[in-house]
Amino acid sequence: MASLDYAYRRLVNTLGPERVARSEFERMVYSHDFASLPKVALLQWKLYPDFVALPQTTEEVAALVKLSDESLLQLTPRGGGTGWYGGSVPNRGGVLVDMRKMNRVVAFDPDGRTVTVEAGMTWKDLEDFVDAKGFALPIVPVNAIGSTVGGSINSGSSGFGAPRGGSLRDAIAVLQVVLPDGTLLKTASEADAGGHLANLTPLFFGAEGTLGIITEATLRIVPKPETSKAIAYAFPSLAAGARFLKEMVDVALVPYHATLASRDHFIFERALHPDSPDPADIALVAVQGSKDEVADQERTVDGLASKEAGAKLAPAVTDQLWRERYNNYSARRLSRGLVTSHNLVPVSRLPEAVETALEIRDKLKLNGAVQAFLVDSTTAALVPYVLMDDTRPSGGTALGFVKRMGDAAFKMDGHSMGLGLFLVFNLRKMHGRATSFISAVKVVFDPRKKINGGKTLEVWTKYPWPGLRAIPPPGMAVGLEIAAVLRRAKPTRDRFVRAYEHGKEE
Amino acid sequence: MGLLRDWNYIERAVQIPALSEVIREALIRALFVRDDRVLPKDLIADLNRVPPVTVKVKDDGEVRKLVRVLNGEESTLSLGLSAEDYHYFRTQLGVGRTREFGAVVRPRTLLTYDWIVPEQRGVQLDFGGYAGIEFADGAHRAIAQVGATWKQLYDDGAAKGHAVPFVPTVPLDFAIGDAMCGDAPFASYRGEFTSYVNALRTISPFGHRARLGFEEVANNGTAYDLLHATVPLAAEFFIPVAVALRLEAKPAARKTLTYAFDDGAKLAAALDKLSRTSQTPSWVHITEAVAAKILRPAVASGAFTAQVTVGGSASGLAAKEKAIDTAMAGFTSKNAELPNPFDVPADGYRKSAEAVARSLFVGEVRVPAKSFGDFAGKVRTFGDQTAAKAGVYGSLRHTGIVSAFPFFSAPKDRSKVYDLSKGVRAIASRIPGTTFTSRLAHLWEEEAHFMRRMAFLRSLKLTIDTAHVVQPLVSP
Ligand SMILES: Cc1cc2nc3c(=O)[nH]c(=O)nc-3n(C[C@H](O)[C@H](O)[C@H](O)COP(=O)(O)OP(=O)(O)OC[C@H]3O[C@@H](n4cnc5c(N)ncnc54)[C@H](O)[C@@H]3O)c2cc1C
Repeated sequence: MASLDYAYRRLVNTLGPERVARSEFERMVYSHDFASLPKVALLQWKLYPDFVALPQTTEEVAALVKLSDESLLQLTPRGGGTGWYGGSVPNRGGVLVDMRKMNRVVAFDPDGRTVTVEAGMTWKDLEDFVDAKGFALPIVPVNAIGSTVGGSINSGSSGFGAPRGGSLRDAIAVLQVVLPDGTLLKTASEADAGGHLANLTPLFFGAEGTLGIITEATLRIVPKPETSKAIAYAFPSLAAGARFLKEMVDVALVPYHATLASRDHFIFERALHPDSPDPADIALVAVQGSKDEVADQERTVDGLASKEAGAKLAPAVTDQLWRERYNNYSARRLSRGLVTSHNLVPVSRLPEAVETALEIRDKLKLNGAVQAFLVDSTTAALVPYVLMDDTRPSGGTALGFVKRMGDAAFKMDGHSMGLGLFLVFNLRKMHGRATSFISAVKVVFDPRKKINGGKTLEVWTKYPWPGLRAIPPPGMAVGLEIAAVLRRAKPTRDRFVRAYEHGKEE
Repeated sequence: MGLLRDWNYIERAVQIPALSEVIREALIRALFVRDDRVLPKDLIADLNRVPPVTVKVKDDGEVRKLVRVLNGEESTLSLGLSAEDYHYFRTQLGVGRTREFGAVVRPRTLLTYDWIVPEQRGVQLDFGGYAGIEFADGAHRAIAQVGATWKQLYDDGAAKGHAVPFVPTVPLDFAIGDAMCGDAPFASYRGEFTSYVNALRTISPFGHRARLGFEEVANNGTAYDLLHATVPLAAEFFIPVAVALRLEAKPAARKTLTYAFDDGAKLAAALDKLSRTSQTPSWVHITEAVAAKILRPAVASGAFTAQVTVGGSASGLAAKEKAIDTAMAGFTSKNAELPNPFDVPADGYRKSAEAVARSLFVGEVRVPAKSFGDFAGKVRTFGDQTAAKAGVYGSLRHTGIVSAFPFFSAPKDRSKVYDLSKGVRAIASRIPGTTFTSRLAHLWEEEAHFMRRMAFLRSLKLTIDTAHVVQPLVSP
C-alpha cells in the first residue's frame, strides 16, 4: 500500500487542495451517518476516513476510482449521509467520496418527460427545479431535504407519491455509473425501452454504494396535477389510523400519499415547536386529480375516516403538517441521538404492525414514536424511531430496538430495509437460498471489493489479519440482541421530555 | 432458447475465423433463417435439433429432482420412471456424454418467433399443467404458478374482489410464466409487468427452492434488486415456478370508454394529451382498423379506436369520464357500451386470441404517443409495399409512450419474419424517440454500453448458474 502522504498528494493533484480534506475535524464529521453510534464501534471499525474527496465531475470520480488501484484505499461513496445503517460510513478508513458538489441539472427534456441530474443533488432542490418547469416528480423520498438522488437510489428508498407514482426504481430512466474499474456504464437504453434492451438499473437500486458510484441519473417527471389536496384526521388509536390506511387500499382509492404518525411523535414536536398540532395519532392523506375528482376522493376518505372515528383536522393544521412533511425527526434534538428502524410490512397487517412497534418500544423502556406510510397496494413502510442518549453507557442499548423491530417485520411477512454496516445479518433472512444469487452481483461488478467493500453482504472490521478481518454477520445479530436484553433489564426508562411523560399520563 | 443464449451464440460465432468474414447482421440473418448457402450443414443440423425429452411438470419437486439429475448429483433412477421411459430418457439425454445439456422452459404462447438456438440436448419443461393460483385473504396479491393463464388470473381475481392491473397489449392466451421466458406484453397504464411482480419462486440451478423478492411486500432496500433486473429473462437464470403478483382492489365501478378517430394524427394528439393529465386509467388499448376488425369482427370501426378503462367510486367515475373526454378531444364518436378485449367470457377470449394469433408479429416498438399516428401510417404503407397487410395493437403508458405491436398477414416463415423485422426497424429509426425492442433488435444492436450490459448479464448468468444447467450457453 502506498503511504498516506503519497496518496494525499495524488488526490490533491487530481482534485486540487480545496477539495481534499484530511483534518481530524472534517474526518470526524464523516464518521457517522444519521444514526448515532456508541463509541465502542470504533474498536471494530475505522469509521474515520483517511481523506474526504469532493469531486465535481464524472471524470474526477473516475480518476478517484483509478487512483484507488495505486493507493489500495477503500472508496466509500456518500450523498447526504442521512442513511441509518452505516452505508456511507467507512469501515476501514480510506477515501470518502462526498458527492454533494455534483449537484447540477444536466438536461431537462419536457418532451420526453425526463430530467438528468448529477447524483449529489438533493431531492428538494430537484423538486423545486421540476416544479418551476411546470412538472412534478412521481416520487420524492421522505427525507427530501437532506438526501441526494444517488443516495436514495442506492438505499432503495420509497417516499411521497409512491402509491400513485410507483417505485423510485421505475422512475429511473437511466443511470450513469463509474464502475469499480474506472469505466463508465449507462445502465439502460437512452430511449424509453420499457425495461428492455438489457436494463441493469434495478441492480443499482438498493446497492448501497457497493457496485459503483452513480454520477448522473435521468429521472422521469410527470405533469403537475390539476388539483391536489391534503387532508388530515386524528384517530382514537394508532391501530384505528392504520386500519384507515388499509381501508383506503381495500376500496381501490389511490392517494398521492397516505402517512400515519403516533401521538408521541407530536408530543416530541410540541416540546420543540409549541405551535405544532395537538398530539394525537394523526393520518395525513394527499389526493390528486381533476377538481371534481379530488372532491370525490375527499368524500370517500372522509367516509373511511369516520368509520374509524377519525376527526378531521382544521385546514390550517393540515396545511402546516403538509408543509412540514419533510421534517420528520426534530425529536433528535431532545436526546443526543435517534435510532430509526425502517421496515416494510404487508398493508393487510399494518394495524398489527403499528401495535407491535409500540409494544417493542415499551418493553425496551424507550421513548419513541411510530410512523408508517403506504408504499403500494401490498406494502406499507413501518418506520418507528426511538430516542437515545449516546453520552451514557446505556445509550447504545437502544440499538437493540432495530434488531427486535426487524425480527418482528420478518415475522409479519415483511422485512427490514437496509443492510449497510450494521444489519448485514438480515441478508440471509431476507433472501434465504437466493442469497448466493444476490452475492453474485457483487462478484460480477466488483470482484476486488474496491467500492464500499465489507458491507451489505459481509461485515469487515478494521483489522487486516486473518481471523479478525470480518465478523460473521450472526455475531452482529447476537450483539444487538444482547443490547436489547440489557435495555430490558435496565430498571428505569430515559426521560427526555417531561411533556412527553405528562402527555402519557393524560 | 433465450435471449442471452442467442446473443452469446452470435458473439461466439463472429469470432470463428470461417464466419468472421460475414458481417454481423448477415450472420444473424443466416443463423435465423438457417441459410445453408452461408452456414455449414452440420451447424444448421445442430441448430435444428430440438430437445429430445419433454417433461410435463405437475409438481415443483419433479423439477428439483430433474435439475439434480442434470447436475449429476442424482442418478436418473431417482426420477422413478418406468423401465421403458427410463431407457428412453437416458439414451435421448445422452447421459454420460461430454456435451452440456440443460433444462429449458417452453412458453405456452409465443407472440413473435422461436429463438435461434434451441435447447439441443436437454429437457424441455412444459408447465401447462402447473397452473394453480392462490389469492391472499385480506390482501391484494396472488401467487400464480407459471402455467396459469393470464385470463384465469384475471377472471378468478375479479371474482375474489381483486383487480389484476396488467393486461396483454396483444390479447393472446398467454400463461403468466410467458412473461419470464417468452415475450408476453403485459402492462397497465401506470407500469410494466415487472412493477407488479413482488417475488418469484424458483428452482435454483442446484435444485433448491429459492425465492427472489418478497411475496407479500415490495423488495426495496434489500441489496441489489436482482428480481426486477431479471424478470424478463428469468428463465435463463433460474427455473421460475410461480410468481407473487401485486394486485389491486376491485373498484366499486368500472367503465370502458371507446373513442373512434378517423385520423392517426388526431388520435396521437389525444393520447399525448391524456398522458399529460393527472388521470390514471387502468389501461388504454389502441387498435387501428385491421386490428379492430380481428378483435371485433361484427362491429364497424373507424380508422383508429382507443379504449380507455377507468375504475373508481360510482360517483367519481363521472368526473373521470369528463376529464378523459376532454383530453381525447378530436374523436369522431364515443361509445360506453362496447366490450373491451379483456372483460369477455373465457371462451370468447380464447376464440378471439386464436384469430389474433394468426398474424405475424415482429415484436414491440416503443413510440412517443404524439408520433403514434405517423408510426401506424408508415407500418401500413410498408405492409402494402411488401404484400403483407399490416396493422397495429398498442397500449399507452403514463410516460407518454405507446407500446406498439405491428403485425402482418403473411406466412410465418423465418425469412419473412426477418425481412419484416428489418422493415419495422427501419421505420422506428426514422421516428425520433422510437425504439424497436424485439429479440432480433437486441441481436442487431451494437452500441457500446448495450454490449457491456449484455456481457454483464451473461457473467451474472454464468456466476449464478455455475452448474450450467438452466439453458446453458452454447457456442457454434
Ligand atoms: C428524516 C429521514 C427520513 C428518511 N426516510 C426514509 C424513507 O422513507 N425511506 C428510506 O428508504 N429511507 C429513508 N431515510 C434514510 C435515508 O435518508 C435515505 O435512505 C436516503 O435516501 C439516503 O440518501 P443520502 O443521500 O443521505 O445517502 P447516504 O446516506 O449518503 O448514502 C446511502 C447509501 O448510498 C450510497 N451512496 C450515496 N451516494 C451514492 C452515489 N452517488 N453512488 C453510489 N452510492 C452512493 C452510500 O455509500 C450509502 O451506502 C430517511 C432518513 C431521514 C434522516
